[in-house]
Amino acid sequence: MNDNVLIKVDGLKKHYNDGAVKALDGINCDIKSGEVVVIIGPSGSGKSTFLRSLNLLETPTEGSIVFDGVNITDPKTNINLHRRKMGMVFQHFNLFPHMTILRNMTLAPTKLLKISKADAEKKALELLKVVGLEDRATAYPSQLSGGQKQRVAIVRALCMEPEVMLFDEPTSALDPEMVGEVLDVMKNLAQNGMTMICVSHEMGFAKEVATRVIFMDGGTIIEEGTPIEIFENPKSDRLKSFLSKVL
Amino acid sequence: MFEAFQAWFLEMKEEFILNFVTKNRWEYLTDGLLKTLQITFFAVIIGIILGFIVAVICSTYAKTGKLKFLNFLCDIYLALIRGTPMVVQLMIMYFIVFLPLGVDKTVTAVLAFGINSGAYVAEIVRGGIMAVDEGQMEAGRSLGFGYVPTMFFIVIPQAFKAVLPALANEFIVLMKETSVCSFIGLNDLTRGGDIIRGVTYSDFMPLIAVAAIYLVLVMILSYFVKLLERRLRNSER
Repeated sequence: MNDNVLIKVDGLKKHYNDGAVKALDGINCDIKSGEVVVIIGPSGSGKSTFLRSLNLLETPTEGSIVFDGVNITDPKTNINLHRRKMGMVFQHFNLFPHMTILRNMTLAPTKLLKISKADAEKKALELLKVVGLEDRATAYPSQLSGGQKQRVAIVRALCMEPEVMLFDEPTSALDPEMVGEVLDVMKNLAQNGMTMICVSHEMGFAKEVATRVIFMDGGTIIEEGTPIEIFENPKSDRLKSFLSKVL
Repeated sequence: MFEAFQAWFLEMKEEFILNFVTKNRWEYLTDGLLKTLQITFFAVIIGIILGFIVAVICSTYAKTGKLKFLNFLCDIYLALIRGTPMVVQLMIMYFIVFLPLGVDKTVTAVLAFGINSGAYVAEIVRGGIMAVDEGQMEAGRSLGFGYVPTMFFIVIPQAFKAVLPALANEFIVLMKETSVCSFIGLNDLTRGGDIIRGVTYSDFMPLIAVAAIYLVLVMILSYFVKLLERRLRNSER
């Protein structure tokens, strides 16, 4: 772990309907490489919007995001180049249903990074092995369980060798007995030093793996700190009342 | 009873010989069939290309608000083509646009049918693209693909699979619709039957033969579409 700031968010705002709805209302946040940041908060607090703004799936109304020293909110920046270095995992997996698992994983590396098909497949199979799915390489997404799909979605993003992984409620759409297998993969990833930003309702995961927990409400960061600070000694009333409901 | 049947059979045989065998009149039908297939084939290609381009423009505008001007042009195109009869479009294309330029009748017909078909293909494909989950576009973009490559590699293949039956149906309709080619004096299958009727003064044999040929063509096409559909569906299991 080092002190390099990987993502620097400055005054980020996202307004809808000419400012009538403030999904994000001035977010300032530095993410250092190697950090595992878990964002918690009630629904509608803007945590997903914040995460999706980081790779510009949501276009911020105001503010800047500097990733790897480049201001990606500048319209002149080619965001496609920077998204390659930011893996994203969605709540609903979003695997490509018309492709095999292997093709899902090799599409971007072969088309965008111009890696040869053989090399891309070799790497994909190695990653599948890590998540215990090497025997499903030729299957189609519809043949997999939810937990398996999400593990594939994670390694699909890893195939691009990202510098940071963004997780948007990765376990919310899963049956309870499948949550564990996905969290295990994420823990493994965190222990290997991957920078991760994760919107999650899994407080256990946050306590165990996070290096920092951010509590958001009403489009702003209310409180942030280590898991112990957040869960054992919450300062703000809003965090206290949120924790009393979820724990 | 038997003699009446025999007399009828003999009469049919004579009719058949008169309409198809004498002076090799069957060649009107085979030549016409070839022309019909030729026009349909090239019109389908133009229809697919045009239809997909228009569909992508329209759905991009519907989802992102971009390409406003192109979308406006597409709207006009769709309104004009879908708001006027095919025969009228064909005649305008030939007598007003291409005849003065000296363009060949077959080329004119291919263009007219292709442009017409494109409008219907566009509507079908647009529906297919809109039906693909938004998350697919987001997943493609999050990996670093631009909008157009994501459309091309991820969204359109899924949309295509979903609309394939409707598309195939459109092309079967198109093939039958080429029968109006005779309005510009093109010797297609229908016109071949008409020419035979003109010289033999009989209606039954030529018309039934023309109908039977169209029917067989449609059945063959439908069979291949079913095969293709099954193959596409298997890939998801």
